[in-house]
Amino acid sequence: MWIINWLPEFVVHLIFLAGALGTIAGFVLGFVPFVGKYKLPIQIISLLLLSLGVYLEGGLAEKAKWELRVKEMEVKVAEAEAKSAVVNTEIVEKIITQKQVIKLKGDKIIEYIDREVKVFDNTCAIPVIAIDAHNMAAKNQVPAEDKK
Amino acid sequence: MSKKLLLFCVAITLSLVSGCATTVPVTQKFPEAPQTLMEKCEQLDTIDQPNIVFSEFLKTVTKNYTKHHSCAKLVEAWQEWYTEQKKISDELNK
Repeated sequence: MWIINWLPEFVVHLIFLAGALGTIAGFVLGFVPFVGKYKLPIQIISLLLLSLGVYLEGGLAEKAKWELRVKEMEVKVAEAEAKSAVVNTEIVEKIITQKQVIKLKGDKIIEYIDREVKVFDNTCAIPVIAIDAHNMAAKNQVPAEDKK
Repeated sequence: MSKKLLLFCVAITLSLVSGCATTVPVTQKFPEAPQTLMEKCEQLDTIDQPNIVFSEFLKTVTKNYTKHHSCAKLVEAWQEWYTEQKKISDELNK
């Protein structure tokens, strides 16, 4: 409500108070000469002020409620962002460790090949077609005859 | 006179109480993915020489398997990242 944002809080209370006092004066203090003379205008203006005051007081209360919710939400968002950052760190640490383990295992297998498989190098010839098949698989290509 | 005054007061009151709107200026920022997860999977090695020995051939295959396992872990990490971030987001919007 723009009027609530624009008006200082004390003005809202003042409107409500003026409305309440005016209404009491207009309806109860008719015997006072000045009030008696302007009874009707006082009653009308006071009732309007009171209505406006009640409405604005309600608006103020609603605004306060919303502000509280916004603050709660801000705290929740900050917590979520912190949690998110922690999750990111955990995942990064995990993936780095896993990649290192995979690399280490791969190196061990290569050492094993050097140690145990190398002796079969002279007995086990690799045909060119096997190399081609491997390269095609690595590049995700189909063999030439299957392209037709 | 009093009728005009009454109309004026009503008009003022109506203009003051119109146009109520409430917006909540709190938005959740989309979480940034870690740079490590943004890395692309490595290209698989091919064998360029036709007269390769068996052990070298096997080494290339092993290296490619290693690259595959590494890439598979990256995909798993992405899945975990999404699941965890969604959980956090769902908790926030509950």
